[in-house]
Amino acid sequence: MIFLYFDPGLGAMIVQAVVAAAAGVLLFSKGVMYKVKGFLGLLKQDDDTYDSIDLDEKDDADETK
Amino acid sequence: MKQNNTHPHQASFRDPSGYMFHDGDVLRRAINPIYFKQYNALKDSAFFKTLIKNRLLIAHQETSVSEDQIVLTPEPIAFITNPYEWSFEQYKHAALHTLKIQKYALSKGFILKDASAYNVTFHKGSPIFIDTLSFDFYEQDTPWRAYKQFITHFFGPLVLASYHGTEIFKMLQSHIDGIPVKLISSLLPGKTKLSSTIFTNIHLLAKMESKHSEDYKAETKIAKLSFKAQNNIIDNLFDFIKKLSIKEETEWGDYYDKTNYNDAAFQGKKTLIEDWVTSLNPQRLIDIGGNDGTFARTVVHKVPHVIVTDIDSNAVAHNYKQAQQNKETNMLAFVCDVLQPAPGIGLNNTERNSLVERLQNYSPDVTMALALIHHITLSGNVPFDRSAQFFASFSKYLVIEFPTREDSWVTSLLVRKREFINHFDFYNQASFETGYQHYFDIEKKEVVPGTKRVLYLLKNKG
Repeated sequence: MIFLYFDPGLGAMIVQAVVAAAAGVLLFSKGVMYKVKGFLGLLKQDDDTYDSIDLDEKDDADETK
Repeated sequence: MKQNNTHPHQASFRDPSGYMFHDGDVLRRAINPIYFKQYNALKDSAFFKTLIKNRLLIAHQETSVSEDQIVLTPEPIAFITNPYEWSFEQYKHAALHTLKIQKYALSKGFILKDASAYNVTFHKGSPIFIDTLSFDFYEQDTPWRAYKQFITHFFGPLVLASYHGTEIFKMLQSHIDGIPVKLISSLLPGKTKLSSTIFTNIHLLAKMESKHSEDYKAETKIAKLSFKAQNNIIDNLFDFIKKLSIKEETEWGDYYDKTNYNDAAFQGKKTLIEDWVTSLNPQRLIDIGGNDGTFARTVVHKVPHVIVTDIDSNAVAHNYKQAQQNKETNMLAFVCDVLQPAPGIGLNNTERNSLVERLQNYSPDVTMALALIHHITLSGNVPFDRSAQFFASFSKYLVIEFPTREDSWVTSLLVRKREFINHFDFYNQASFETGYQHYFDIEKKEVVPGTKRVLYLLKNKG
C-alpha cells in the first residue's frame, strides 16, 4: 500500500482512464502526421530550450559495466 | 547528530516521510523509518544517481544513518524562487521537468507521489527537483495519484496564462495548493472545450471532481489504469505544454531600443557599472528592475552568483532564455514588483518566505537599481527615505541611478501628474541624497556621460 498523505481526489483518479484514451488517440494521430511530414520534409525546428521527455541513459549504462 | 542547534524548516511538514531542518547554517533532510524502504530501493537501484547526474534532482550526501533516522545533506541552493515569481518560460520548464521525472520514475517502477510546483526551483540556470522524498513504488495498473496536483499546480495555471497572461501565476499566492480545478475550468474560454487535451484534463476533471466530492467513506472503487495509459497521459501533457506560448512573449521588443540615450551613453553606463562593481569584488549581486539582465551581464563573469529581477515577465523570460543559451549558470532571473513584493504565505505565513526575508538571507554584497527610482517615486508615490529603507534592509552596497528632472522619462512621468505636478517638486537630487543618507553613505557619484542621469555608489550605514 502506498502511503497516502494527501487526498488525490477520487474524480481525478477515475477520470484518468478517459484522459489516457484521448491522449492515446492524439499521440497516435500525431505519430502518423510526424511520419507524413517527415516524408514530405515539412518538420519544423522546435525553438523551446527544454529538451525531450526521455532521459538519455547511455552514459550511465557505460559506467555500470 | 547534535540536536541542540537544529530546528525544522518552516516549509517542511506536509509529508510524514521526513523533513528538512537547519543544522546551524546547513540545511539537512531527515528521513523517518516509514520511508526507509523506499529510500533504500531508490538508492540501491541507482535511481537517485541517474537523476542527479542528469541534473534532474538536487544532489545530496548521506550524512548519517541510524535505526530511527537517516540524514541527508543536499547541495545548497543560493536563492529559492516560487512559482508566482516565474516567467512563462520558467513555469513551463518546471512543468516539463516534473513530467520528465515522472516518466523516468515509471520506467523504473517508481512514481512521483506528489507534483507540487514547490518541488521545483531554479538552480544553475535550469529547473531542478528539490524534494528527494517525493518518490514511491509504482503499483501495477494504478492511476497517478499526483495527477490532480499536477493539473492544479502546473497544467491549469499554464493554460490559463496562455489565454490571460502571466498575471495568472500570482493566483498561486492565494492558492498554495494550486488553483482549484473548478475555477480553472470556469476561467477558460468556451472554445477550450474543443481541445481534447484541455477538455479531458480540465473541464471533464472538474466535472468528475464535483460529482465524486461527496464520497466521504471512500467507497467507490478506484479505476484501473494501465502502465501504457499512464505513459500516454504524461507524453500528451508534455507535448501539449511544450507547445504552449503566450502572446506577450512574442511581442517582447528590444527595450533598450526605446531608451532615451545613445549608444555611447549606453556603453559609458556599462563601463561605469563594471568598474564600480568589480572594485567591490562581490560574491553575490542582485539587480532590481534589471530588465533582461543587460547591465548585470557586464559583470556576470566576475561575480559567482547574480540575480536579476524585473516586474516585466517577458523581460525575465528573455533573460532566462539568454542565460540558458550563453550557459550562464550563475544567473538567476525572476519576476518581482518592488512595490508589492511576494508575501510570506501558507501556515503561519512562513511556509513560503516573503521576498524581503529571502533577500535578507541571501544578503547580496551589491544591489543595483538602475533606471528604477523614478518609477518607484513617481509612479508609486514612494518617498525617498522609504525606498531607501527598503534597499537598506538587505543591501551592503547600493549602485543606484538617479534620472534628474531633465531626463525625458522623468519629464513624461511628471507631466502625467497634471494639476498635481507641484506635489512632486521634491523629486530632485538634493532630496534624493537627503532621503538616502538616512541609511547610506555616499561613496561615489558620477553623471552618466551623455545623459541627464547620475549614478551613485552608496554604502549601508548599518
